[in-house]
Amino acid sequence: MVSISFLNPLSPEGKDIVRELGSFEGISQDIPELRSIVTHNPSQEIADDDEIPSNYLELALKRMEWYIKKKNDREFNGRRYAFLSDSAITKYDVISFYLLCQAIGVKFGPNSRETRVMVESQGDLVRERLGKLHVDEGRMMVEQSLQLLLADDTVHWTFFEELLSSRKIRLTDLILDQGELILDQEDFLQRFGPRIKHRNPESMYQLLIGDELKELIMVKLIMQETEDYIKQVHEKARIMVEPNPILLQLAEDVAEVLSEPMQHYGYGYGSGGGGGGPMKIGPLNPLAFPPCVKKAMEGIKSGGRNDAIVLFMTPFISYARLYPDVFRMNITKRVSDQDPNLESVENEILPLIYEAAQNCVPPLFDDQPQEKVNINAKLGFGMHSSLKMEHEGETTWYTPMSCEKIKLHLPHLCHPDDVCKKIGNPLSYYNRMIWEVRRQEKESSDDGQSDDGQGKSNNDNENSTEGNLKEDSKSVNDNQSADDKKGEA
Amino acid sequence: MDLKPANPNERRQYYREEWNVKNIPDFILKSLIQREFGFDHMGRGPNDRYRVFQNTDFLRKFMRYRAPFAAYSSVAFYHKPRRRDGWIKAELVFDVDAKDIPIRSCGCDNVCEICLNQAKDIVHGLVDTLKGDLGLSDIHMVYSGRGYHIRVLDDQVTGVDSDVRSQIVKYLVGSDVPRSEYSLAGMKYNLEHFTIPFGYPQVFTDRVKQAILALDPSMEMDGVNQKLIRDAIKYKDFLETDDWGIFRSKIGPIRYVKLIKGIASLNLTLVDAKVSIDLKRILRLPSSLHSGVSMKCTEIKNLETFEPFEDAVPKFVYERKD
Ligand code: SF4
Ligand SMILES: [Zn+2]
Repeated sequence: MVSISFLNPLSPEGKDIVRELGSFEGISQDIPELRSIVTHNPSQEIADDDEIPSNYLELALKRMEWYIKKKNDREFNGRRYAFLSDSAITKYDVISFYLLCQAIGVKFGPNSRETRVMVESQGDLVRERLGKLHVDEGRMMVEQSLQLLLADDTVHWTFFEELLSSRKIRLTDLILDQGELILDQEDFLQRFGPRIKHRNPESMYQLLIGDELKELIMVKLIMQETEDYIKQVHEKARIMVEPNPILLQLAEDVAEVLSEPMQHYGYGYGSGGGGGGPMKIGPLNPLAFPPCVKKAMEGIKSGGRNDAIVLFMTPFISYARLYPDVFRMNITKRVSDQDPNLESVENEILPLIYEAAQNCVPPLFDDQPQEKVNINAKLGFGMHSSLKMEHEGETTWYTPMSCEKIKLHLPHLCHPDDVCKKIGNPLSYYNRMIWEVRRQEKESSDDGQSDDGQGKSNNDNENSTEGNLKEDSKSVNDNQSADDKKGEA
Repeated sequence: MDLKPANPNERRQYYREEWNVKNIPDFILKSLIQREFGFDHMGRGPNDRYRVFQNTDFLRKFMRYRAPFAAYSSVAFYHKPRRRDGWIKAELVFDVDAKDIPIRSCGCDNVCEICLNQAKDIVHGLVDTLKGDLGLSDIHMVYSGRGYHIRVLDDQVTGVDSDVRSQIVKYLVGSDVPRSEYSLAGMKYNLEHFTIPFGYPQVFTDRVKQAILALDPSMEMDGVNQKLIRDAIKYKDFLETDDWGIFRSKIGPIRYVKLIKGIASLNLTLVDAKVSIDLKRILRLPSSLHSGVSMKCTEIKNLETFEPFEDAVPKFVYERKD
C-alpha cells in the first residue's frame, strides 16, 4: 500500500516521517538502503555511479534535476530517474521534500524562481507518480488525499481562492452548483441527474468530473500547500538567528541545478551560419544583465517603483527573452509572434518581473495590485488582469527604454560600467554581453575552437550595426512616448 | 423620451423637492463612514474625491446645498476612507452599460428602451448565475441611468483580489469556450456545451443563445465573416426551441466553433471588466441624479417589473416646457 505522503509530503503521514527523523543530525550521511532501492529498481537505468543518490540531500537535488532536465533537455531520459516514482523511497523522499522547501524558503523566499520551480516540480512529480500506479490504486489515493485536503464533504468554490488568484485553476473548469464544487458521483447524480436528457448521467459524470478533475484539483492543492509551506518557512526564518548551513548549501546547489539549462541549452546555442541572420532567442542569462537591470532586480527601495517595474523592467525582460534584436530588425512584432503559447511569458518573463516587484520596499503588488494589469498592457495585452490572446494588440508591446531615458527618469538605477560606454540601450548591453558570457564559458570548457570564431563574427556584426542601433532605438522609443500620452488621456 | 442633460436649476429642484437621504440603499448607509465619496460638480468628472460623511445628516446637507452634477461612493470599505487607506473589503460589482452591449439590436446612438431592455435581460442572466452557480445571495441591483449595476456583498467574495474577480467575470459572461473533447480510459468522447444542462457549460449556452438571438447582419466579429453571421441569423429559430444539434449541423461543425469563439470573446464586453476588477472604484450613488441623461440612479427591488422610463424619471423632466 502506497503512503499518501508519497503524493503529499505535507499530509499527516508525511509529517510523522519528519517527526521520526527528529533533527538535522546526520542528514548528509550515506543511506545504503536508498542506494539499494535505486539500484534494484527494474526500470532504472544507470550510466554512472554518480547518478545514484546516496543521501537525503542528493535525492533532493535529483528531484529538481529531473524537472529541469525534463523541461529543457531534448535528450532527457526518464529511465535515469525511475527511482523517483518508486514508492519504496517514500520516507527518504518526504525528508528531501522538506529539506528543499526549507532551503528555498530560507534562502530565496516564496516569490523566487526557485520556489516556482519547486512548486511546479512537485506538481509534475505527483502526476508522474500517479501515472505509474495501477488505475484503481491511483483512484483511491486521489480520493484519500482529497478527503484530507478538502476536510469537508461540501466545499464552497471560494475555498479555492488562492488557486484561482494564481490562475492555477480556472473557475470555468469547475462544476459548481449553489456555490458548491461538485466532485462526488452520488451528489452529482442527485443534483443533475433529472436534468440530463438523452444521455447516461453516470457516463456524463465520468467524463466531466471523473478521475481527471479530481486529480487536477488534488495536484493543484498540493502545489498550493507546498507554496504556502515555503512561505511559512520564509517567515519563520526572518526571525530566526542563524539558518542551518546545510540548508544554505542545499539552496546554493539548487540554484546551480536551475541555472544549468541556461548554460547548456541556453542563449544562442548552436546558432548556425555567419552573422547576418536574426539572433537566436533563448532563456535569459542574468549574468549578462546590465547594471541597471541587476539593480532593479534587487528591488526598488526608494520611490519610482511603478515606473521601474512597469515601464523599464517589463519591456526589457520581455524583449531580452523574446526579441533581443528588435532594434536591429526594426520590425514591430507581437509577443505571440515570438512565443505562440505564451509559455515563456508565463513561466519565465512574468515570474522575473514579479520577483523584481516583490523585492521592492514595500512590495509593489501589496499596495498596488492593479500594476499587474499595467504590466499586461505593456506586453501588448490590453488592460486586463490576465494575459489572453484575444486581447493582444489592444495595447502595444513597449520597447525597452534607452539609457538616455533611464538616466532622466530613473537615475538611481544607472551605474554605468565599461560596457555601458559603447551602447545606448540596456538591451544592446545584454546582446553584447551574452556573447561575452558565452565565450568565457566556452573558453573555460576549452573545446570551443570553431565556436569561438563564430561568436566573434557575431560580435563584430553587433559593432557594425551600432550606429543604426541607436537610431532605431530612438525611433521606436519615439513611438512609445506618443503611445504613452494616448494611454493617459 | 429624449435624454437631455439636467441644468443646475433642475438639479437643485431635484435635490430640494424629490431626493431623500432615505432613498440611499441600506447596504450603503450601514457602512457610510467606511466609504469614500466622490462628486462631480461641473460635469467634468468626479474631481471632488476623498469625501467622508460621519452620518447621514451631513450627507443630506451636502447633497441639498451642492446639488452635484453626479455623486459616487466607493465600492471599497476602508479604515481610513479619507485617505483611501486601510482597505477592508470591496463589493463585487458588475457594470452593464446599455450603450456598450456588444450585440445591440437597436442601433441607437445613446441608450433607448430596446437596449435598456436588452441590458435588463443580461442582468437577469448574470444574477441567476451568481445565485445558482456561485451560491451568492446578498445581491443588489441598481439602475445607473444608462444601464445597470449589480453589487454583491456576500462575505465570501468581498475579500477576494482582482484576479479572482476576473475569473468570476469570465464565468458569468461566458468568455471561455468550454472544451468539447473529453477522454476516459484512453477513449476520446465529444460532449458539446449545449448537451450539458448545468454548471459553466450551461452558462455558456445561455449567453451564446442570448447573443445569437440578438445578432444583426451588420455586426462585426473577430474571425466570423458576414456569411456566417447571416447563416446564424437564418437558423436562429432553432435556438428558440433549444434545438442546438440542428442549429450546429445547419451551420457546420467547423464554422460553429468559429461562431462560438467569436461570441465568447465578445461576451467579455457584456460587463465592463475594468469596473469588476478594480478594488477601489467609486460607483454612482443610488438615489442620486444622473444629470447627463436626467434620470435617477435607482435601487431596483423587482427587476421583472422595473421600467426605467417610468421608475427612474425625475419630476422635473415632466415639467419641462419643450
Ligand atoms: S548606461 Fe545604460 S545600460 Fe548602463 S547602467 Fe546606465 S542605463 Fe543601464
Ligand atoms: Zn438603444
